[in-house]
Amino acid sequence: MSAGDSGHRFDAGRRWEASLSLVFAARLSGAAEATRTRLIRARHHGPLRVQRPFYPEQRQIDLADPCHVYLLHPPGGLVSGDALKIGVNVEASAHAVLTTPAATKLYRADSYGVVWSQTNRLEVEDGGILEWLPQETIAFDGSRGEQRTEIALHGEARCLGWEIMALGRPASHLPFESGRIEQRFQLTRDGRPLWLERQPLDPVHPRFVGRWGQGEATVQATLWAAGLPDPGAAVTTVRAALPANPSWAVTQRHDVLLLRYLGGSRNEAWALCCAAWHALRPLLAGRAACEPRIWRT
Amino acid sequence: MVESTRDPLALMGLMQLVSPALPIGAFAWSQGLESAIELGWVSDEQSLREWLAGVLQDGLTVCELPVLARLQQAWANEDREALQHWNDWLQANRETAELADEDLRLGQALARLLGDLKVLPASGWLPPRPAYVTLFAWMAHRRGVVVGDAQLGFAWAWLENQLAAACKTLPLGQTAAQRLIERLRPELATAVSAANVLTDAELGPVLPGLALASALHETQYSRLFRS
Repeated sequence: MSAGDSGHRFDAGRRWEASLSLVFAARLSGAAEATRTRLIRARHHGPLRVQRPFYPEQRQIDLADPCHVYLLHPPGGLVSGDALKIGVNVEASAHAVLTTPAATKLYRADSYGVVWSQTNRLEVEDGGILEWLPQETIAFDGSRGEQRTEIALHGEARCLGWEIMALGRPASHLPFESGRIEQRFQLTRDGRPLWLERQPLDPVHPRFVGRWGQGEATVQATLWAAGLPDPGAAVTTVRAALPANPSWAVTQRHDVLLLRYLGGSRNEAWALCCAAWHALRPLLAGRAACEPRIWRT
Repeated sequence: MVESTRDPLALMGLMQLVSPALPIGAFAWSQGLESAIELGWVSDEQSLREWLAGVLQDGLTVCELPVLARLQQAWANEDREALQHWNDWLQANRETAELADEDLRLGQALARLLGDLKVLPASGWLPPRPAYVTLFAWMAHRRGVVVGDAQLGFAWAWLENQLAAACKTLPLGQTAAQRLIERLRPELATAVSAANVLTDAELGPVLPGLALASALHETQYSRLFRS
């Protein structure tokens, strides 16, 4: 039996798929009129799981209790041929908070240069809220792949999220010198695109060091928030809450707030994203931020 | 060799459209350049050349130039869906408040001028909130300018406008600006050729540093330009 027959191919056609599909819905819970966000469906294929949902937040009148869920990918990283698909659907008026228990690693491509892929499809119905707060992604030298985040909002849906990407492993003196990673973002409301962005990270391209491009940054972060009642005021709030510094800036266009960081410190990027989230959450969700416990472990 | 615009009226129509005298206020926008100068990223002729060549390659080549061609084709085909699609696409790719604002305000100003000149598209054809490129494509189509020439004209107008902004902000003389034109002229032609072989999936600007500079410009203390 050949390698092809066994399903274990080692050429560009190799694919090891894993998928996770989650649906959150607001359901009546206990006392009069109280609603709680339930994880009403969790389907998985391959090594992607969720832990039992948490409800760490205080009940608020007229708001569904947010459901906190940790996404687990036991291998902890992506290798050549991996194809991860995460689909999240938040139904009307429900509120989900997703995070990961640890950083995701993007390992060096195999000798065939086979790519990995990760697709996050986040869909939020009218009045629903989704917070997508994964821990950072660490790209090892030589990694090759594409990470797509597609956010589809409907009606008055709200969504805040971030992606933090650290290139190379500076502590081990292993910079990102080869490989190619592309991050793509697509945010639509009722089918109309409001934010499209792509960030190819190619260490041999002039833009990797050029000031119009990466400017030698080894850590980058992108935070988005859509559905804020007053995006202009939210920008002012974020500016007041975070230490001014030319490695990050916040703006808003077409009702999407965007915070971007280009620098050299994972901790700085993480702290900025968390601080922005703390500042924005009361405006976006009518609640103070409630950090997932797993971040402290 | 690409086909070129032979009709003298078409050629002059293109010159009119790319002239700095066109009253749409393009001189008021620096597209992040003023901020890059404030940050010390661009400080002299050499660093300005690198910045402009980078923005040309990772911005215009993968965004405005190929989309201009698609929009001009859409006007020629009377393809309402494509006009709407690429107009939306351009706006969704604008990285910051000022870059989005620039696109819409130049679009509005050009629409107003074309209205006064009675050369706007028939009622109902212009997408709501038309981008500058969408109107530029319309005029290129209406005047009978060949697509490749419309792209060269667009890139030329961008370069002249950037150099005018740099001369006002940097210690950079008019002769140095002309030297940069001499250096970058061939790169404009290369950019148009490169733009015209890209598939839709390959489009989208890759200017994270410019996006950061442009967002920082919103709080820059002293500024001459609106972007």
